[in-house]
Amino acid sequence: MLPDSDPLIPGTFEMLILKALSLGPIHGWGVAERIERLSGGVCGIQQGAVYPALQRLLLKGWVTSRWKDSDHNRRARYYRLTASGTRQLASEVDRWRRATGGVDRVLRASPQAS
Amino acid sequence: MRWLHALRARAGAWLRPGARDRETETEIAHHLRVEAERLERAGLTPDDAARIAVERFGDPIAIAESTRAARGGRALEGSMQDVAYAWRALRTQWRFTVIALITLALGIGATTAAFAVLDTVVLRPLPYRDADRLVFLQEVTDRRTLNPPSYPNFADWRDRAVSFEGVASAMFPSSATVRASASDDAERIVWMGVSRRLFQTLGLTLAAGREFTDAETSPGGPQVVMVSYEFWQAQMHGRLPLGTIVFGGDPVEVVGVTPARFQFMTAADVFLAHDRFPGTCRTCRNYMVVGRLRPGATIASARAEMTTLAAAMKARYGDDTAAAGADVTDLREYVVGDYRSLLGIVFGAAALVLLVACTNLLTAQLARGWVREREMLVRASLGASRSRLIRQLLVEHVLLVAAGTLVGVGVAAALTRVVATVGAGQLPRLQDVAIDARILLFAMAASVVTVVGAGLGPALRLSRPGAAGALRSARGTATTIRASWWRVLAGFEVALAVALSVGSILLVRTVNNIMHADAGFDPRELLTASITPSEHDAAHLEDAREALAALPGVEGVAYTTRLPLSWGANSGPVRRRTDPMGPTWPAMAGFRMVSSDYFGVVKQPVLRGRAFSPADGAHAPLVAIVTPGIASALWPGEDPVGKTIATNYLTDEWLTVVGVVAEASNWAQPKGRQNEIFVPYAQHLHALPGQNQIVAMIRTSASPEALTSPARASLRRSMPESAATFRTMEDRIARTAADRRFAMAAVTGFAAIALVLAAVGIYGVFGYVVATQSRDIGVRLALGATPGLVRRGVLEGAAAIAGIGCGAGAIAALAASRYLQASLFEVSRRDPATYAASITVVTAAVLLGAWVPARRASAVDPLVAMRIE
Repeated sequence: MLPDSDPLIPGTFEMLILKALSLGPIHGWGVAERIERLSGGVCGIQQGAVYPALQRLLLKGWVTSRWKDSDHNRRARYYRLTASGTRQLASEVDRWRRATGGVDRVLRASPQAS
Repeated sequence: MRWLHALRARAGAWLRPGARDRETETEIAHHLRVEAERLERAGLTPDDAARIAVERFGDPIAIAESTRAARGGRALEGSMQDVAYAWRALRTQWRFTVIALITLALGIGATTAAFAVLDTVVLRPLPYRDADRLVFLQEVTDRRTLNPPSYPNFADWRDRAVSFEGVASAMFPSSATVRASASDDAERIVWMGVSRRLFQTLGLTLAAGREFTDAETSPGGPQVVMVSYEFWQAQMHGRLPLGTIVFGGDPVEVVGVTPARFQFMTAADVFLAHDRFPGTCRTCRNYMVVGRLRPGATIASARAEMTTLAAAMKARYGDDTAAAGADVTDLREYVVGDYRSLLGIVFGAAALVLLVACTNLLTAQLARGWVREREMLVRASLGASRSRLIRQLLVEHVLLVAAGTLVGVGVAAALTRVVATVGAGQLPRLQDVAIDARILLFAMAASVVTVVGAGLGPALRLSRPGAAGALRSARGTATTIRASWWRVLAGFEVALAVALSVGSILLVRTVNNIMHADAGFDPRELLTASITPSEHDAAHLEDAREALAALPGVEGVAYTTRLPLSWGANSGPVRRRTDPMGPTWPAMAGFRMVSSDYFGVVKQPVLRGRAFSPADGAHAPLVAIVTPGIASALWPGEDPVGKTIATNYLTDEWLTVVGVVAEASNWAQPKGRQNEIFVPYAQHLHALPGQNQIVAMIRTSASPEALTSPARASLRRSMPESAATFRTMEDRIARTAADRRFAMAAVTGFAAIALVLAAVGIYGVFGYVVATQSRDIGVRLALGATPGLVRRGVLEGAAAIAGIGCGAGAIAALAASRYLQASLFEVSRRDPATYAASITVVTAAVLLGAWVPARRASAVDPLVAMRIE
């Protein structure tokens, strides 16, 4: 966890992992790295936490994995989104948008509007 | 298809758990390397890069574990891991483990052995086919006492009752000598008369041959015998055809062999058909009668029929029969009913030991709490869930209890073997006691109780998040509310120890009282030889007596037809001349014929009148000597000397009472003292041949044991055809209290175990208190408390527990000793000295247990104690 990052909003971690994988198959470190980089360091995670989460996604069938040689000729386990994983991501993003949109509208409210 | 993915992932975890673990480890290692390389590229030193990579990743072991948990299949893998953890934990804390194992083994071993005895003797069905259909039939007199029936009554019941498929009988066993073949030596054996179809009624299959035929069980039929399986094997070497044996001087054909270990009430070697000589005396009492209920009949319906039948017979025969009614009892109840309460007490005592063991384990588990809670805290912070922690602690506990049960079963097997060897013949069926599947099942049940009783509580408590949090404080100051909880547990142990030791002391005193009970004579230095004289040897009784008396160390020898203190069915009515031959008798008495010097030899004081003398011979007036009970019942306030009496044993012979001798206490049954009538056998020689047993009482000047073999040799010379059993009188007395001695040994053993466990428990509690309060103690010492004061504080704490525990234990013992009441002899169950002794011993044990921690407390170095964290 980076020193100046915030803890994740509960319930978003798996959605972030699915999103990270939607950008292309990658190994566990890559998932953690993508989330940190793409959030600009705001979404702080303990890197190791992606592994139990990936196991849960594997069990749900949203993700598959296979072992491949990585860049430096090392064996690494690459995770890839399945079709149902893609659908799941879409529905979670949809829900997230609606929820945050609602929250956002509430937060934007001014005294005149109410 | 999602379920298919899930299935595959899970199946993989189940099938290849190790492979999956290695994959996760490889993945994590890869991750850390990649991250460290990135950090190095950003300019960190390799060391810092590696450290920060792990920091950003989180604890790799915890991550691996939760990954595994997320993957599923955790039940199996987790259990293996739990077992490994538990094994490690138990090994590291081997002191605790050893003590816990001993505690468990003692508790479970004692309870299992006690259950094995209870089960073998009391609970198991008798070894007959459909044994629950078998009933024991007895006469009921109009005084509501139960008696064995006479032959005519037995025959009428057999012929007329419709509730039974079969009614059969056996006589009380007698001794005789036989030769397995004409060339063999005479062997003393026990024979028993049995009726037609006894084995068929019992539902037994013979080992060889057949049961007696109708012709062989009819008056005047051919004389044949059956033998026991053991006799067939040992004396006849299992020969077939069975051939003949020499019985009573004549060769008789052996027609059948009983099943192995057969016994009906008692074991016997040779069986005769008693129907060949049907008894004609309707008031005699010498047959044991068994019936097999017809399908549809119940004990209640059979009892109703038998009562009606007996009433009809009473109306017909009047005073010729003593049976005013008939009783039908479950056969097993008749055989073992008397032992149920005493063995129940033994089992209860064993269960208390298990309870103490559980309590001890519980306190020991709690005492380990301050060590374990830190471990739990660490594991919880690594992501182990609460259920996981509970499970792990339970696994540890189950492992411990399983090992303890295993050792305990070993202890029980050893105990039962000792009991079977020592106790054979003293309690019915005791020789058969062994550990079998049923007993193992019980041991397992006991261990489950132990797991739940002593394991679940600590596991729940230790795994509670709050408990772990509380332990964050340094060990030196972690005094907890739990200490008061343990005082309760320790007090509970003390109470159980008091209750058990009260029971033990009461039984020890009972047995002691029996051994020193007023037998009416002096049983010390008295050797007895129970002789079965052959017809030829019977004429040499006097020679044999003189030969025995001439042995060095022998002070005198006398004969009696029955052993003293052998109360049995042989008590009969006594009447005065004025008493009509009615159904009610003013007194009942045992009856013995003795030689004229008997009272002098056994040192039985003559209270009034005189002892017998050689002048009381065949042609002198018939005389008798009675015990005070008879005198006071027949002639209250009068001098019995000179009065005349008659008994059933010598019909129509009026005996003049010439003396009164001391009587014996009767501890065998709660019936008070034993009345007896003695007559000189010289006056009743015609009655002697009917006696198949005569007992020589040999008074010795030194140890009677040492005289056994010269006496045996002497008897063999004078009466070569007669076998004899030698036993000291004190040994015979001890055997009459075998049940109580068994209970005494068992309960005393259990009380000793409970005492030790209670002391260990107290040691544990105060060991903990002192360990956790060493900082406080250090402060107090630094503030000027003397070591003596600190020591006294600990001991006072222990004394308080002892006080409350002893109080509770005494109250419990007062309540529970009710069940012991019937077994006690000449000691009150509320005997204050017993309670005082028990409380003293237990309190001493408690203080001893607290002494070591007290010493440790006073030896605390204030500086060291306060510096700890």
